[in-house]
Order: sequence, then structure tokens, then C-alpha cells
Amino acid sequence: MSSRDVSVEVQGVSKSFGSVIALNSVSLDIFKGEFFSLLGPSGCGKTTLLRMIGGFEVPDDGSILIEGSDTSGLPPYERSTNMIFQHLALFPHMNVWDNVAFGLKMKGIEAGIIGDKVTKALQLVRLEDYGSRKIDQLSGGQRQRVAMSRALINDPTVLLLDEPLGALDLQLRLSMQDELRRLHKSLSNTFIFVTHDQGEAMAMSDRIAVMDQGEILQVGTPEEIYDKPKTRFVANFVGHTNVFDGEVSNVGNDGDFEINCSGLVFMGVGEMKVVKGQRVSVALRYEAINLSKPDNEVKGASCLGVVREKMYLGGMFRFETVTKEGLTLTADIQQEEQSKLIKEGDKIQLFWEPESLAVLLE
Amino acid sequence: MYSRGVRKLNVMANNFKTIKYGRQYNLALWVYAAMFYFFLYGPLLMLVFLSFNKSEIVGFPFEGFSIKWYHVVFESPELIRALANSIGVGVLSAVIATTLALSLSMAFRHDFWGKSLVLYLILVPIIIPGIIGGIVLLIFFGFSEIRPSLWTTVLVAHVNWVLPFAFLTLYPRLHGFDRALEEAAMDLGAKPWVIFSRIVFPLIRPGIIATALFSFSLSFDEFVRTIFVTGFQRTIPVQFWGLIVDELAPQLPAMAVIIILISILTSLIGFIYMRRKVN
Repeated sequence: MSSRDVSVEVQGVSKSFGSVIALNSVSLDIFKGEFFSLLGPSGCGKTTLLRMIGGFEVPDDGSILIEGSDTSGLPPYERSTNMIFQHLALFPHMNVWDNVAFGLKMKGIEAGIIGDKVTKALQLVRLEDYGSRKIDQLSGGQRQRVAMSRALINDPTVLLLDEPLGALDLQLRLSMQDELRRLHKSLSNTFIFVTHDQGEAMAMSDRIAVMDQGEILQVGTPEEIYDKPKTRFVANFVGHTNVFDGEVSNVGNDGDFEINCSGLVFMGVGEMKVVKGQRVSVALRYEAINLSKPDNEVKGASCLGVVREKMYLGGMFRFETVTKEGLTLTADIQQEEQSKLIKEGDKIQLFWEPESLAVLLE
Repeated sequence: MYSRGVRKLNVMANNFKTIKYGRQYNLALWVYAAMFYFFLYGPLLMLVFLSFNKSEIVGFPFEGFSIKWYHVVFESPELIRALANSIGVGVLSAVIATTLALSLSMAFRHDFWGKSLVLYLILVPIIIPGIIGGIVLLIFFGFSEIRPSLWTTVLVAHVNWVLPFAFLTLYPRLHGFDRALEEAAMDLGAKPWVIFSRIVFPLIRPGIIATALFSFSLSFDEFVRTIFVTGFQRTIPVQFWGLIVDELAPQLPAMAVIIILISILTSLIGFIYMRRKVN
């Protein structure tokens, strides 16, 4: 990973708006050609960071390098970045063709070349027959594609996407996600995508940075973020997770350890460096937990409990259980046959792979 | 439970539909409306009517239809000159006030120190009574030793008067302008001036035209302030005033109709532009 070329380098960037801290000394490397997502709740600073890379905000402190050169003081019109705006910001008084051609005209490229390039850019998003359409004559999806082709026509080193799919209904959103992924695969540009939707970030990204309150909490591949969240916030924000506070009660010679959470002891394996008595939290995904009859033989870690509530979620069941230690553990089970047999009030055994347990340090 | 609630709601809606107001109430409403329109348009219609009266004295009885007073107006060099003066000052003050209002509106989209104070300062001419405004200008020009004339004192007085209205007409257009459009243009390589000329201006052009037309119409009708600062070149309202004071001239109604027509036409076009959506 580290040997890859860095496209955008964020170095200790801070920004405040009045008394509100939008970014607190954020550092980040984004690699060339990567589809990188900034994920977090609204107000976490993700949009501010994106707008800074585009030149629309100026950092109070720190600097941003694009392709190795410092961008400090460069206005947006002198940067090799292009942005797809949240509400697209297509020019309403121009037709599709003129919208897409705008970037080239600003660069002073001659008319003949502009013609070829615009045609190609419209082909890229399958809108070659829509050049003379007015913006208000387009559907939501077509507008999205015009915005994509307008932003890509200057072949930006970095394409910035500011939650452009936010306003779409689910169907269109999924098809636009496909469209973006397809574009990203066929091009070599770096994509930086801002979203508050963890599912979207998971589905689209090579890597994700999870942000909260102006800080980056964790950077990693979707699998790393999902399987090994480092903080309670990340665990809760991405997917559904049981989180418990506890204390390291035992550390074995092989690096295995035990964490006691209100009487329920979780086994942890390898990698994590913890010491006995250390206060930590554990996270266990809903779908990492399995259920069976109390007296069945099960593999991995297990505990006993009672089903308090059972819900059908379409394709899976969600069981809310209370362990005999009094902790509430929620499990999502996909096997319908087995789930149908378990009813509310049943005594059951919960079990999971020790590897699926994530230990959170904060 | 649910369906009973819905039924109840329907019954209520039906009752509401079938409520009949009393006959007396209806009559009162008609009388009110009739009086409203009579006092609003009656005097205007009477003026138009009188402008076609053959009589040498303004007023009734109606002695026969004639357009001779319109001839008198258009054949009077003083009136034509006054009309030309008014149109000239109107156009120029509209252009100046609209330009100033545009730059003010652009500035007002940003936050700056003392913004609300500047806003009040711009709006002061609206609040000051016209006659006081006139006196203030008279004193000011007197002390500055600026001789009263059309293109100095009158023009300044008019711009002063028109500017706040121009600002109030134009500012909402720019305030509601989607800043993301400018950012998108900037992102695509447009420098500030190009952003203004290719994106902002085309999109607010209807608002600018409307503002200019309203400004013209305000300047065209301005009298109270103007009379204090007028030199030898008179504008139409001042000329008009002279005619009323010197002699109750029979061509007055015809002249009034012409002035009203010019004012209504410019305002009407202004309103059309105000409502126009960009495309």
C-alpha cells in the first residue's frame, strides 16, 4: 500500500468556523486512482475537507498537496480538481452541451477539439442524443450523468463528489452507484466521495475514512472498517453492533486474552496489545452471532440467554436476547428454517467465532 | 375507531361546504367591493374622460368629444422639452441606481462589519418625508455651491430617491441566487469576471431589467424633491405644477393621461420581467 503513488496528501489541516471546529488537525493520504470515501454524520467535517481539496475553503492551519505540490493559495479555477456538487449546480440557462463544454471553453481550447471532447464525454454517460436539451427537460438520473460528464471533461487528477446521490430515491441511487463505479473503473482519476451513508461507502469505495467531530477516526478498506472497527463510534456508525464496556481480565502467553463485561467473559485473539486490568470495549456484529438450543454442542465462544424479542426483517430474523449475566445481545440470523423454531421467551445458546470480536480502545 | 374518525371528518367537511352566508352579509360585501373599485379607479376614469372634453374649462359639463387637448400638449415646445428632460433623467438615474443597487446587492451577499448599518443608510431616503428630503438637498446643494440644473442637482436627487427601491427590488434576486452555480463555474476554470458575465448576469437579467424599469418610473413621477432643486430645465411633474399654479390649463387632463400611460407601461413591463423565470 505505502508504495503506491499518493494523489492527495492532507497534512495537519485544521479549520474553524467561528467557535465551531470543523476540522481538527487532520492528516490523510489518498492514493492515485483510488475510490476514497469520507464517511461520517452531518457536521463531522467531511464536506469541509472535500471543499478544501477543491479550493473552496482555506485551511486555518496545515496544507494539502495534490500530486506532490502544495495547493495553498490556489483558487478553484487554478486547481486540477473538479467537483460534482451536492445539488449538481448545473447551469439552468445553458443546454446539456454547453454545460459539459463549459470547462473546456474556460481553458480556451479551440472549438473543433471541444466538439470532439464533448461528444465523447456525453457518450461516456450515454447522453449523446441529449446535447440540445435544457436542464429542466432532464430526469434526475440524466442530470446526475450530465454533472458527471461536466466534471470529468477536464480530466481532473482528482474528482470530488459531495454527496451527489443524496437526493435520489433508492432505485435511482443504486443505479447511479453502478454508474459511478463503472466510470471509476474505466478512468484513471482519483475519486473522493463524501457520504453519510455507510452502505454507499461500503459498496463503492476502495478505502474509507470514518470521520466524527472534525477528526478522522479510522482509515481502511470497507472490510477493515466493518470487521475491525477501532472505536466505539466507528463500530456503531458502520453496520449494527453490540458494544459493551469491560476490563481485560486475563492475558495468555499466546496473545489471547479475556475481557470481562459485567460478568460475561469474551475471548479475544491475537494482534491486539492489551494488559491485564485495562479498560476496553468489545464490539460484536449482529450477524456474527448465531443461536442454537441451550444443550447443543457449539463451536467458538458461547453464552446462555433468553429471547426477549423476535422480528422479521425480510430475508432474516433479528433476535433481541438477554444473557444470563443480564447483557442485551442482538443477533441477526439468516437461516430461516432454524430461526422459525425459536420463539420469544425461549432459552437459547448464543455463539460466535472469537475472531469476529472487535476490541475498541476508545 | 379509524373509520369513525374519517367519517366524522367527512361530515365536517361537507358541513363546511354547505355553509351559506346571510343575504345581508353578501350585500354588504358587494357594496364594499363596489366602493373599493369606485374610489380606486373612478378618479382615473374621470380624468381620461375629461381629457377628451371639448370645453375650455377643466370639468363638467361635457361639451363634446375632442382630441384637441392632446394636440395642444404635443404642440407645446415647453411640454415636449419637459417630457424629454424627464425621460432623460429617468433613464440615466435608472441606469445609475440599478448599477449601484447591483454592486450593493453583490456586496450584501457577503458578511461584513457594519452590514446592517449600511442597509439602514441605504434605506433612509424612503423613510425621510419627501418635503424634508427636498429641503435637505436644497441646503446641501446651496452650501456646496452647486448650481441647480437637470444633470447635476436633479439627477443626484433622483438617484438618491430611487436607489433604495432599486436595491430592494434587486437584492432578493441575488440573495436567492444559488452560490453553488458560481462555485461550479469557478471549479470549471472560470475567473470571477467570467463567472459574473456568463453565469450570474444572464440568470438575474430579468431582475435587472425590472429594477431599471421601476427606477425609471419612480424618477419619472418624482416631484416633491425635484421642485426644490430644479433650475430652468423642468421635468414633467414640475412643469405640470407650474401649469396648475399659473393657470388651470384645459390641457391638464390630456397631459396627465400621457404621464399615467408612460408610468403604467414601464411598471407593467417591469412586473412582467419580475415574474419571468430564467430560461
